[in-house]
Amino acid sequence: MIPNFAVIGIQTPHWQTPRLWLPLFLLWIPVILLSPIIFLILVALAIACRMTIWRIIAIFWGILSGLPGTHVHVRAEGNQVLVRIL
Amino acid sequence: MNENRRQILEMLAAGKITADEAERLIAALESGPATIVSEHSGSTASANGNTGAAVKTRAKYLRVLVEAPQEMTGLKGPTSVNVRVPMQLLRAGVRLASLIPVQAHQQLDEALNRHGVPLTLSQIKPENLEELIDHLEDLTVDVDTTDEGTTKVRVFCE
Repeated sequence: MIPNFAVIGIQTPHWQTPRLWLPLFLLWIPVILLSPIIFLILVALAIACRMTIWRIIAIFWGILSGLPGTHVHVRAEGNQVLVRIL
Repeated sequence: MNENRRQILEMLAAGKITADEAERLIAALESGPATIVSEHSGSTASANGNTGAAVKTRAKYLRVLVEAPQEMTGLKGPTSVNVRVPMQLLRAGVRLASLIPVQAHQQLDEALNRHGVPLTLSQIKPENLEELIDHLEDLTVDVDTTDEGTTKVRVFCE
């Protein structure tokens, strides 16, 4: 499953952002529009790495679909950063 | 279809066992792995304080938890890190390593050696890394230090 939302929260001792819900599914619109350029980049990458383009696509798709469930929360010196991918 | 199930069906087809016996064997086969896995996962389950878990499910996430007091880090206030990485992402990341051009391997090896990591990247094969990721599921690391404060580091799969 590809990521649909990213939740980002930043907090410092002086200010804090509300938890931002970023709709990642909207990124599909520019991705589709830029797909010819992305395809050319992938072909170039496939030639450079001496791999088939399908393998390259499979690797990037694997990363994309592996992202949901990622959770990073770091707190130090009163600052907090939260990143969640849903 | 797995090998055991196929054998049972072949025995049934050959008339060596009756349909009832085949059904019982298949039922035993289906309940078998849970028992075996629960025996196998005893150390992991007890490490997590969950001895009652009957069936071990495949780990989905790698968790890293760090809690360090001010005295240990030198930073103002306590420091904590809570990271959850999907195992699927780790596997995909391992495959991404295969995209590194061969020409870059030597430079990477030299850089890693300079930083005290004696690793030869060209000798690491994707299948070995896959195996490493698979074995991460059995990994549990607990570190507690009590010098000036309590620092806790936990690395485990869930």
